[in-house]
Parts: sequence; C-alpha cells; structure tokens
Amino acid sequence: MNIIGIAACVAGIAHTYIAKEKLTKAAEKRGHTIHIETQGQIGTEDELTAEQIKISDVVILAVDTSIKGRDRFAGKKIVEVSTEVVIHSAGNLIKHIEENIKA
Amino acid sequence: MNIETILNKNLINLNMQANTKDEAIKELTDLLYKAGNVKDEDAFIKDVYNREAEGKTGLGNHIAIPHGKSDAVNVTSIAVGRTKNDLIWESYDNLPVHVVILFAVRNVDKTTVHLKLLSQVAIALSDEEIFDKLLTTNDKGEVIYLLSNKIQ
Repeated sequence: MNIIGIAACVAGIAHTYIAKEKLTKAAEKRGHTIHIETQGQIGTEDELTAEQIKISDVVILAVDTSIKGRDRFAGKKIVEVSTEVVIHSAGNLIKHIEENIKA
Repeated sequence: MNIETILNKNLINLNMQANTKDEAIKELTDLLYKAGNVKDEDAFIKDVYNREAEGKTGLGNHIAIPHGKSDAVNVTSIAVGRTKNDLIWESYDNLPVHVVILFAVRNVDKTTVHLKLLSQVAIALSDEEIFDKLLTTNDKGEVIYLLSNKIQ
C-alpha cells in the first residue's frame, strides 16, 4: 500500500518524531511505501506532496492536537489515532489497516 | 550538528537518589540549573508539569521523557538521569521508570538547530534496542553516543 500521514503531538518536541519513526519502520517492515509529515515545534517538515497524497491508499493521522491542512485528504480513507497508539503498537496498527482497507 | 550543544556529561547522572517522579525531575532540573541552562527551577518544573498534564511521557520499557518549554530555560538542552529506585510514572506499559530524559526547551528559540537536535534524540528513542543499554551502561559517553546516533 501507499501510506501517507501526519504526526503531531501537543508539545511538538518529542512524541511527534518518535511516532513518525515508529510508523515508518513498521510500514516498511511490512513492505509498504510510507511518507509521514511532521508538524512540530520546528514547523512542518517532510511536507506531503500533491502526488503522494493523490496516489495514497490510506492516510494515518497520529495526532494529539489540531493539524494544518486536513482538507488535503478530502475523499481519502483516514485512520486517526493518538501518538500513544503509534508509539506503543505501530506494527499492530499497520496490520489492522491491511486487514480493513483494501488497497 | 553537534550533540554537545544540548547534551554533555555534566547533564547526566547515572546514580540519582530520587525515589519519586517529583524528586527525579527536581534532581535533573538541578543539573540544568547548575549548568546555567535553566534560570528558575520552580518556574521550569511548573512548565514540565503543565506538559505532564497533557499526556503520558513514559515511553514504556522503564524510560520517560518529560519536557518543559519555558521562559525559565536559557539554553535548550537535555538532562539524563537513572535511578535503581522504582519511579511511579504514567507510561504505556505501567512499568516503573528508571531512566528519565528531561528536555528543556526555550520558549523562543532563535534558531531551529536545537529543536532539530532534540527531534533527532527523540528518533533515537524510537529504537527499543537502545533502551537496555541506557538501563545498564555506566559510561556517560555511551549514553551520549546512544542518544546521538541518529544525528545527521
């Protein structure tokens, strides 16, 4: 699958980046392509491109706070969880998505 | 980028006396204060607890990453402490915490360099293989190495 998403935590200092790393590792381990944008204290990094969004099969929002640009995902399948879920069990989340979303 | 600007041996204590979360945060804040990185300990600790109120900072596997973004911070930096005592801490697995990594962040940072370093330390903490080493090593240099190996 082509997975995209956003990671953003309340402080934007630590959990955002741990969540991105965990999601990326878990998805790649299971053979998926993944791009995660981070919205943290530094600002937006690794901003999703229009093309990445267009070809994506699913959007994972690992967010504890309001995010910018949610309207970019209109019409997409969105899975929204807390950063806690991702940090604690990214692998299970990816498996769950595989089972429930047909690419 | 150089980790030394945010973490050095003066900011690490592998033999903390703390018996509680409060004592651990206080002990690490003392290190930051003595290094000149925090100018007002009480104000900083208050901001750390403001963050604690918003969600768990225990990552599981006996590691916690409290953080404070505060006017009381002079220099964005990290203090690392370890105690043999079981610290009760809100975490993903409800195990007691032994390693505390306290992020002190300036309210207004003129550059993003320090924030970038902090984010790369956070990325290092996504790798559970380093947790065992953080829990056992007696070498402060290794602690710095483990936390900085994702820094580009």
